[in-house]
Amino acid sequence: MTPTRETFGNISTTSQVAFYFVATASVAVFVYGVWRRARLWQYGQPIHFRQLFTGRLSQIFANIAPGLRRLFVDGLGQQRVRGRGLPSWAHAGLFAGFMMLLLGTTLLEVNHLAEMVSKNLSFHHGIYYVIYEFTLDLFGILFLLGTVLFAGRRLWKPPSVGHRPSDWLVLALFLAIGLTGYAVEALRMVWQQPVGIGARCSPVGYWLASMMSHWTESQARAAHLGVWWLHSLLVFGFIAAIPFTRLFHFIAGPMNLFLSKPVLGQLKPVTLEEAERDGRIGVSDIRHLNTQQLLSLDACMECGRCEDVCPAFATHKPLSPKKVIQDLKSVMERLPDVAVDAPLNPHEVIEAETLWSCTACSACVFVCPVRIDQLSLILDLRRHLTSEGGLSGTAATALRRMQSSANPWGFPQDERANWMQSTSTSQPD
Amino acid sequence: MAENQLDVPTVTAPTVKQNPQFEILYWIGCAASYDRRAQRVARAMVKLLNAAKVNFAILGKEEKCTGDSARRLGDEFLFQELAEANIATLSKYNVRKIIAHCPHCVNALLKDYSQFGGQYEVVHHTQFLATLLRDGRLKIEGELPASLQSGVTYHDPCYLARVNGIHEEPREVLGAVLAQSADGGIREMSRCREKTSCCGAGGGRMWMEESPQQRVSTSRAGEALATGAQTVAVGCPFCLTMLTDGVAAQESQARVLDVAEILIERLGF
Repeated sequence: MTPTRETFGNISTTSQVAFYFVATASVAVFVYGVWRRARLWQYGQPIHFRQLFTGRLSQIFANIAPGLRRLFVDGLGQQRVRGRGLPSWAHAGLFAGFMMLLLGTTLLEVNHLAEMVSKNLSFHHGIYYVIYEFTLDLFGILFLLGTVLFAGRRLWKPPSVGHRPSDWLVLALFLAIGLTGYAVEALRMVWQQPVGIGARCSPVGYWLASMMSHWTESQARAAHLGVWWLHSLLVFGFIAAIPFTRLFHFIAGPMNLFLSKPVLGQLKPVTLEEAERDGRIGVSDIRHLNTQQLLSLDACMECGRCEDVCPAFATHKPLSPKKVIQDLKSVMERLPDVAVDAPLNPHEVIEAETLWSCTACSACVFVCPVRIDQLSLILDLRRHLTSEGGLSGTAATALRRMQSSANPWGFPQDERANWMQSTSTSQPD
Repeated sequence: MAENQLDVPTVTAPTVKQNPQFEILYWIGCAASYDRRAQRVARAMVKLLNAAKVNFAILGKEEKCTGDSARRLGDEFLFQELAEANIATLSKYNVRKIIAHCPHCVNALLKDYSQFGGQYEVVHHTQFLATLLRDGRLKIEGELPASLQSGVTYHDPCYLARVNGIHEEPREVLGAVLAQSADGGIREMSRCREKTSCCGAGGGRMWMEESPQQRVSTSRAGEALATGAQTVAVGCPFCLTMLTDGVAAQESQARVLDVAEILIERLGF
């Protein structure tokens, strides 16, 4: 007999109908949640997203190739998540496990739809089935391992890692989904009684089933149905929870990787025309950030890498790049509650001293796994402060001297070549 | 102090008017123009360029601040004013290739000015010195001076190593200098190359007062000294100022020197 298993085996038609009903509801909640966030981003300045996809096919490809590359290398390849030892491995395990289980479930549904068209189109059997079951069993272990490691990370949390109570809920969901997944598989094997390679290709399920070998078929079938429902409901709960928990980085992270292209050392210029048109320089309202910048705020997982490398934070200055992102995010979240023309000034939440503490060293931008450009955000805010005369003290003096003498020390331009002799006339202290 | 011994008291560098056939422009920057300590870096560099018979010129009194600090302090229009003035001067003398010993100038000339029509081939002086050594235009001969035998570490400037990915060439120069040392090379800090840590002067912080307890430079100098090195090599005039202060705050006698100054010391110029 070719190794296989029936799709929705042991699941009554009523349960199947109910399953798709709950699935639809869960996806609807997910879509609503994503829409709720996407609506916030649209308060920002437009980013000409459509221009990426206009023109000839070769032009479109040239436009989106760098973004796709970032998606593949930084996203799927997890290149920017590396470098933190065990937590990086935990993420890799959870990510690989999740992606493989997602792929497996999708293939299962594709097979199910194919079967409905014609029994001959079914591919979920034979050697394919053996590889499928084995792979999913293995990646399930990675998924659970990642979950357990991340639970440990939360228990022994470094101060830079952000935490919300819902993080525990997410990890509990993951754990329950993984465990019930294996239980469903084991119980199915108890009533189905597969033999040979068809059973051994699911090593975890096979092992668990061996512990329940004394169960009768009807006991196993009843338990299977129950646990199958539990597993399904947990998964649907998880899908619905994505836009409302830290899991939202599944969506905002890749989107930001695709759209954000921080070039270290480069800043977006402001033109005189823009300044005259907008009557401002820099950002004095959260709506002055562009859609991609607002989206990037939602991509932040509070992993704290930026804070860990920030020289200002390390020397107890009032700046943490992570906190700037979170503060901007909290201002963004107030957008639906205020009138369209009511100001929403991020400077009310972020102190000037915080912004002046930045050395523009770019370490935060360099380490961010989802390519948030903290530096550009800080500088957009700084530009406003400076344009309003908010800079004082020695730095303001340096700017005045750059204006009058074309050097920050304020020495005469005539003495600019005096360095050739060590006994030059005018000397700074 | 030992530093004074290796100072080059006087050099001559031709201006673009005096040497209109120059191949490469040496961008001095404000720090080396006016800061007494950074001036030595420019003099060391000119000595090296002359020794290697490089056909170069400087802008002299026509050079203005690149505006890097202004831009990063949020004064975009002051930056643009300076950028436009410099770009006009550079095109007047048909400048294509520039050497600068300041990573902030390198970044401004390379990445900021290209947004305003200024396209140049810009190299940091450590890159240029590495090429001169590679091509044999500068030759390291003789014994390693005692001053360099007591360990050398290298602090990567943010705007050089992280922002512009230039971190191997300074090591190449220092590696050649230190080939005969007991260490066989430089003593690395754990945070180096792209992962380097700021000296505290970037983003216009150079021009701000900082309370001694909050100085980034003190902690970074501590990291440098923890390698046991008695010489801290840098590749940026701001890092030079900051780490000199930091080393002093750590009550250490270690020297803080630019890569070009170390090369001068090794060559015995």
